[in-house]
Amino acid sequence: MPTLPINLGSYLVNLCSALLLLTCFAIVAQRRLMACVDLFALQSVFLAVTATLVAYLTGIHHIYLAAVLTIAIKAVILPRILKKIVRQLNVQREVSMYVNIPTGLLICGGLVILAFFITQPIVHLGFLLTQDSLAIALAIVLIGFFIMVSRLKAVTQVIGFLVIENGLFLAATAAAYGMPLIVELGIFFDVLVAGLIVGIYTHQIQEAFGSVDTSRLKALKE
Amino acid sequence: MIWPIILLIATPFLIGVSGLVVRHRQTLDVLHCVQAGIMVVSSLLLVDEVSVSGPVSFFYFLHVDAISAWFDLVIGIVAGTGTLYAVGYVGEQYDRGHVSLKRFRQFFMLFDLYLGVMLLAVNVENLGIMWIAIEGATLSAALLIGFERSKGALEAGWKFVILSSVGIALALFGTILVYYSSEQLLGITEEALHWAKLHEVGDQLDPSVMKIAFLFILVGYGTKAGLVPMHTWLPDAHGEAPTPVSAMLSANMLTMAIYAILRFKILTDQSVGTEFTGPLLLGFGFFSVALSSIVLLLQEDFKRLLAFSSIEHIGIALIGFGLGGLGVFGGLWHLLNHALAKSAAFYGAGLVLITHEHKFIARVPGLLRENPAAGVALFVAGLVLAGMPPFGLFVSELTIAANAMAMAPAISYGFLVVLTVAFATLLFQILRMVLGVPLGTQISTVGPRCRAFSTAAIAVNLGALIFLGLHVPDGLHNLIGAILPFFHAEGEYF
Repeated sequence: MPTLPINLGSYLVNLCSALLLLTCFAIVAQRRLMACVDLFALQSVFLAVTATLVAYLTGIHHIYLAAVLTIAIKAVILPRILKKIVRQLNVQREVSMYVNIPTGLLICGGLVILAFFITQPIVHLGFLLTQDSLAIALAIVLIGFFIMVSRLKAVTQVIGFLVIENGLFLAATAAAYGMPLIVELGIFFDVLVAGLIVGIYTHQIQEAFGSVDTSRLKALKE
Repeated sequence: MIWPIILLIATPFLIGVSGLVVRHRQTLDVLHCVQAGIMVVSSLLLVDEVSVSGPVSFFYFLHVDAISAWFDLVIGIVAGTGTLYAVGYVGEQYDRGHVSLKRFRQFFMLFDLYLGVMLLAVNVENLGIMWIAIEGATLSAALLIGFERSKGALEAGWKFVILSSVGIALALFGTILVYYSSEQLLGITEEALHWAKLHEVGDQLDPSVMKIAFLFILVGYGTKAGLVPMHTWLPDAHGEAPTPVSAMLSANMLTMAIYAILRFKILTDQSVGTEFTGPLLLGFGFFSVALSSIVLLLQEDFKRLLAFSSIEHIGIALIGFGLGGLGVFGGLWHLLNHALAKSAAFYGAGLVLITHEHKFIARVPGLLRENPAAGVALFVAGLVLAGMPPFGLFVSELTIAANAMAMAPAISYGFLVVLTVAFATLLFQILRMVLGVPLGTQISTVGPRCRAFSTAAIAVNLGALIFLGLHVPDGLHNLIGAILPFFHAEGEYF
């Protein structure tokens, strides 16, 4: 059982959740694709640390497994795949975006407020240790959406998707002390396969269109 | 009796995996004919079993109650005829040298996997595993949509991957919230996600959590169901995917997404009452029908036409479920008949696409004369989809309209108006294709094998539609009787 006082534990979990949120802002502010991938890997490390903390403080062992899988899949394997794609495609920077960086950061600030507003009526139900994490998790999910819609390059859209996944995982771990093990394993498997499929698609789009700029994908419409 | 459900789910997985070792096209054809037969027969047996002796369970993993059995019927039968059709359609492309043997095998592995996970999703007990299965369907569909690797197919596939991933992520957040609420009651166990357990304690779940959860679920799974305004992937994917895949997307995947929404609706209703979920479903349903009924008229491409018709019909079913009461019966009946009719229409459209190598509605008049199998499929399915009597969609639309009239006349008037528009626009477009004098632009004819398989698939679907229009089997009657209490609905149907 935990040797840390519950208050200190709660502070640490909140600190880690806040660091996750901070990396989201860093991704929004970053144009270089390689750096975005690195920031995503860093975020996954923070996520694993949060999960380890929760596992240690609550004594629920299967969360340790989830933390290990997070490191393996989200901090090592997927970033490697993404970097390989970035190198093959020979695109290093995102030159044009739908929203410029300062406006984007302001919108993300608004999304965080929105997330706290939405979750306000339900956080009191949660476990004392991790009450504020649900709001932070929702904020990360929303910022992930924002990254997906505001960027043009296929690779950054994928990073947006993975950020959403990280937010969801934080919600499951921190707010609900982890989903049942079998569900969690299934989710990891799906995320990994999704990453691979997106990799296949980016490759094929590059071959067919000569670019991974998704704004060129607009032949199909009414 | 446990084996119908085991067969139904295990067959596509096993035969799909066998594609790794089987290298003969002939053997694969035979295996998939067997699969089609098993799917149709075991889904019928399952319905019989559940309607006579109640729910079937397999450990704590599968739980087939009346609702699951209904969706097994819809998905099982259409998956069966879809498999037959795929054997003919993809086989024809192989014969013409458009796909290699390797790609042929890949297609069927993905296709079987896709059908298998969809059947798993509607039977599994754990709502988390249901999410995993639906995500599995998304991923396999993503590869199937882009299968032809043309620019259009890649664009449609990419849109599908991105939008569906976002949708499915929202749905996962909703599922996590339900778990967050239920583990307060059931403890931190796997059972806190078991549908039957949740159903038992449904009235004690925290209402504010369930409300937020349902919103996430509705928008999330609603993206997969193609509800307006999250529908933008749907016409592209249906238009560009290989035709058997379009048929399965429309008839099965949308239906599966509605199943997921219904499960959560029942839970949310237990916790907060129907006045929360009802108007939401009505709103999304109404916008879907209204938008698609008009857009139908603008379509130049016959596969996109059928895609918009799917948005319309899913919207109608949703209006039924949103109304409650006998509207639930209307919604269920609508899903079954829509799946049969829409897949038949796609089977016909696929034949036209193979022989004409384009998808322009205006350039394929006179199909009834030029290509009777495709013409009859499109004509009869078009009549059904427009809602002509005596077919099932007429019954369900009438039930929903009458039910709406009794509960809220304003909804009924609006519903009838959009329904009339949709009737006129769809029928106009279909008749442009099937009637008239052929232009003689047909480039080729299909081979005997493709003709036999696709005619068989079309015949089964149209036969089932006509049968259900004229007679309702006792099994289905009892099954609906067992489903209505879940929605606190009662009344005389049929």
